Amino acid sequence: MKNILFALGLATAMALPAYAQAREVTFTTQLSNYGGDGAYLALYLTDADGQYQGTLWIAGQKSKYYKHLRGWARGSGMNKAEYDGLTGASVTSGRTQNVTLELDDALIDAGYQVRVDTAVEDMRDNRSDVVAPLTTEGSGKSVAGRGYVQSFVYNLK
Amino acid sequence: MNIKPLVITFSLLLMSGSALADDDCDDPIAGWQPRENLRQKLEAEGWKVFRIKVDDGCYEVKGRDPEGRRAEAEYSPATFELRGMELEDDDDDDDDDDDDDDYRGKSGNDSKSINKEQAPRKGIITGRPTVTVE
Repeated sequence: MKNILFALGLATAMALPAYAQAREVTFTTQLSNYGGDGAYLALYLTDADGQYQGTLWIAGQKSKYYKHLRGWARGSGMNKAEYDGLTGASVTSGRTQNVTLELDDALIDAGYQVRVDTAVEDMRDNRSDVVAPLTTEGSGKSVAGRGYVQSFVYNLK
Repeated sequence: MNIKPLVITFSLLLMSGSALADDDCDDPIAGWQPRENLRQKLEAEGWKVFRIKVDDGCYEVKGRDPEGRRAEAEYSPATFELRGMELEDDDDDDDDDDDDDDYRGKSGNDSKSINKEQAPRKGIITGRPTVTVE
């Protein structure tokens, strides 16, 4: 099933790059007041088995700390091509980050998961602080994180 | 001759030049030279200066030293005497133009701010996300 989907996606992307169906999604990550330095976050997609698929956004500018975003680091290999242009500032304790982007329609309701890894200097790393299936049904439904993330929600347009 | 007081006095004299006060530098403000002067001096020595700010009474410089290493250095604002220097890690791959230029081979562009037509990113997103923090 996944092979067919991948082939379909690839064919679509190659044939009609300007017309590939994309949807606007906003990922909202609210951090708890954990009382430490700015948190590094990795927002990324995996398949249902947790296998890395692609990067959505990395909060935190110093790539030397990216290895602390453990699930994402292992999957992406921290390869610059995976996150080029997808980085910004780390997120301060207690603040909420909104990431809005265009996502290929084919990735929704296809068994993929959104994951968030988090890390704070001199505090613990949290692989899969958040795991949420990427579905139309899941849109707008807030989930709790296991580490620094107080709540996480995505909204499909 | 009792040498001990002499040793102590001599040591104190040596120490008096160092930072015993709360601030790392204690030049009176009236004697401070403008930051621009420090920037020019360092750039003439081969530094690339990113920014200069005031920290604990010193000018704190962030940039690349003449050997190309990222560093933070503290200078007395009046005399421009070097008070301390800290090198950052070699693998510190910050959001700096030079890194991208090296990676792509001196394109001369800030690849992070330009659209992705020239070097398509490998991945699942097209275009650039919009990010806000509240």
